[in-house]
Amino acid sequence: MISPRDTDFGELKIAPRPFSVGVDAGGSTGWRCWVWTTTGVVLMLLLVQFITGLLLAFYYVPSADHAHTTVSFIEKALPAGPWIRALHHHGSQWLPLFLFLHLLELLWRGAYRTRAARWIATVVLLGLVMAAGATGYSLPWDLRAFFSTRVAEGIVNGLPLVGSSARAWLLGSNEISTLTISRFFALHVLLTPLLILLVVGWQLFVRRSNPPGVTAEEEHSENKAESPIKKISRSRAVVVNQQTRNVLMAAVVFLLLGLYSHKFPAPLGPSASNATADYLPRPGAQFVWLYQTLKYVPGAWGSLVGVVLPGLVLLMLAMLPWLNRKPFRRITNRPRRNIGAVILSLSIVFITSMTLISYVSDRRDPRTRQQLAVQVAEEAAFRREPFVPAMLKEADTANVPASAASPGMSATGPPLAYTKLCATCHGEHGEGARQGTLKFPPLLSVAEKPRRSVADIVGILNDPTAYGLEPPMKSFATKLRDDEKREIAAWVVTLKTTR
Amino acid sequence: MRDNDSSGLAPDKSRRAFVLLLPFAALGGMFATVATAAFRFLRPVVSASSEKWIDVAQVAELSGNKPVARKIVAEQAAGWAKSLAEHSVYVLPGKNNQVLSAVCPHEGCEVSWRDDESVFACPCHDSDFAVDGRRISGPARRGLDLLPSRVADGKLQVQYQSFINNTQERTPRG
Repeated sequence: MISPRDTDFGELKIAPRPFSVGVDAGGSTGWRCWVWTTTGVVLMLLLVQFITGLLLAFYYVPSADHAHTTVSFIEKALPAGPWIRALHHHGSQWLPLFLFLHLLELLWRGAYRTRAARWIATVVLLGLVMAAGATGYSLPWDLRAFFSTRVAEGIVNGLPLVGSSARAWLLGSNEISTLTISRFFALHVLLTPLLILLVVGWQLFVRRSNPPGVTAEEEHSENKAESPIKKISRSRAVVVNQQTRNVLMAAVVFLLLGLYSHKFPAPLGPSASNATADYLPRPGAQFVWLYQTLKYVPGAWGSLVGVVLPGLVLLMLAMLPWLNRKPFRRITNRPRRNIGAVILSLSIVFITSMTLISYVSDRRDPRTRQQLAVQVAEEAAFRREPFVPAMLKEADTANVPASAASPGMSATGPPLAYTKLCATCHGEHGEGARQGTLKFPPLLSVAEKPRRSVADIVGILNDPTAYGLEPPMKSFATKLRDDEKREIAAWVVTLKTTR
Repeated sequence: MRDNDSSGLAPDKSRRAFVLLLPFAALGGMFATVATAAFRFLRPVVSASSEKWIDVAQVAELSGNKPVARKIVAEQAAGWAKSLAEHSVYVLPGKNNQVLSAVCPHEGCEVSWRDDESVFACPCHDSDFAVDGRRISGPARRGLDLLPSRVADGKLQVQYQSFINNTQERTPRG
C-alpha cells in the first residue's frame, strides 16, 4: 500500500520545528514519558563534551614535550580545572551509556520503522562517540594514555590486509611519538566532533523521510480521525510537555554528573616518560569489556574482536530498517524488532558480564590488587605535588656578553638537587671535573647534541644505559623526585659553552 | 502530571505556567554553573613579575658619557611554562649608572643609540629620545623606561620589567 508520504523519499526537508526532536506526538503516558527522555540527556551530554572540550583546548598543547605539563597545569593550577576535566572525562563514559539507552528507547518505540533516519543516526553517533573516547585517552600523555595508545596501535596493526600501513598512518611514524599525539589530537578535537556535529545537526535541523527501501508507516493511526486543528493543538501540547520532561531529566543527569565530577577528579598519573615495567594499564570504563575480551582471544584475533566485530554489530544495527525482507519474514513476523532486540540484549549481556569479570578479577588477584593500589597511590601523590612549569628555551644566550652572564652559566643558578648530587662530577656550573684519572664530561651546550632534550635528560637520569652512557654515570631514578629531575634537565639545557 | 499529558486544554493555567517555567529554570541553572566555571577557568593568569636581580655589567667597566648597550636574559613565567627571554638595555654611566630598557614605549620596537646625533632612535616610527631617555620627537607618548637597578659586589644589577606600550603613564605589565 502506497501512501502519499511514500513519494517524498530522499527529499530533504527543513524541519518545521527544529527543536521538537525526541518527540513524536502523543501516545506516551505514565512512566514511559519519563523513561523516553534519553534524547534530552544525550543532547545535554554532547553539549557538555563540546563545551568542556573547547575549554580544555584553551590550555592543552598536543606535543610529547608539553601535553602532560599542560594537563597537569589544568589539574593543579587552574581554578575549576579539575572539575571541567572531570566533566569531560566522566561525560565521555556516560555518553555511550545513554546513547545505548537511547537506542533501546528507539527500538522499543519502533523507530527503525517510523523514523529510520533517527535510528541510523543514533547508531552512527554511538560509533563516533566511542571513536572520540578512544582517541581522547591518549592526549593527557600519562602512563594510562601511553598504554592505551599502545593497545590501539596493536589492534590497528592486526587488522586484516591494511594492518601495518594503518598502524603507521595512525602513529604518523614507526613509533609512538609526538607525531602520534598530534594525530590523535586532530582526530579527537577536529574530525570526530565535526562528524558528530554533522550527524546531530542533520537530526536537529534537517528531517528526511525514511530512506529509500524502507516502508514508512504512520505511528499513530488513531489520530487520523481527529480534525486537523484539534490534532495540531494536541500535538503541540504533547511536544511542549515532552520537551519539559526532556529538559528536566537532562538537568537531573547533569546535576549527578556535576556532583560525581566534583567528587572524583579525572585520573592523571606521572608523565609517560617515566614508564615503569610493572605498570598495569586499565582502560576507561567504556572500554573495559574490550580489554577483558582481549584476554580470551588469541592475539591474532584481537583486532577482529576489537574493531571488526563491533563495527559489524553497528553496521547490522544501522541496516536494521532494511531488514524487513521476505527471508527474514519467513522466520519471524517482526524481523526488525526481533533482530534488534537480539543484538542489543546480547550486547548488554556481553558488555556487562565482561566488565564485571574484569573488575572482579582485578580485585581477586592479590598481586594485581596491590599493584593497582600502588598506582592509585602514585597518582594521588603526583596530584599532591606542586605544579612545575616547563622551561621553554627561547633566548639565544650565546650573544650575551661575558660580563653579563658569567662563563658557562645560565641566567638562573643550578637547582639545589644538582648541587647536591651532580656537581661533584659535572662541576658547580656544568663545566665538568677531573677526579684522579677519571675525567667527567662537561654539560655545557649539551642541548645542541641529538637526544638531549629536557625529556631525554630526565630519561638519562632514570636510565643512563638506555642512552648509551656508561658507568660511572648511574641511574637517579629513585634518588631524585620527578620534579627535581625535570628541574635539573630544564637547567642543564640552558647551559652554554663559554665564548 | 496526568492532566498535562494528554490534553492541550490545560484546566489549571497557573500550575501549567509554573510547570513550564521549570525547564527554563533548569536550563538556566545548568548554563550558569558551566559559565561560572568557564569564567574562572579562562580568567587570565597573572604571573608575578620577576623579582630576580640580573647582572648587567661590572661597575668598574663602565665609564664615559655614552650609553652602553647590554643584553640581559630574564626569566619569564606564563602559566604552564617558563622561558628565558633576551632583552636589550642601555646603561648610562654619565647618569649614575641608570639602566634604560631599549624597548620603545610607542609600539615596542627596539631603539638604538646613534652616536652622531646623540639620540636613541626608534627604527619603526622615528621616535627620538635624548641621552637620558627623555622623549624628543615622534609618536611615542613617554620617554624610555627606567629599570630598577642596584650595585652589589661591584656588579650592576637590574630587575627586568616590561611596560604597557603606547600610554603616557608607565604601567608595568603583570
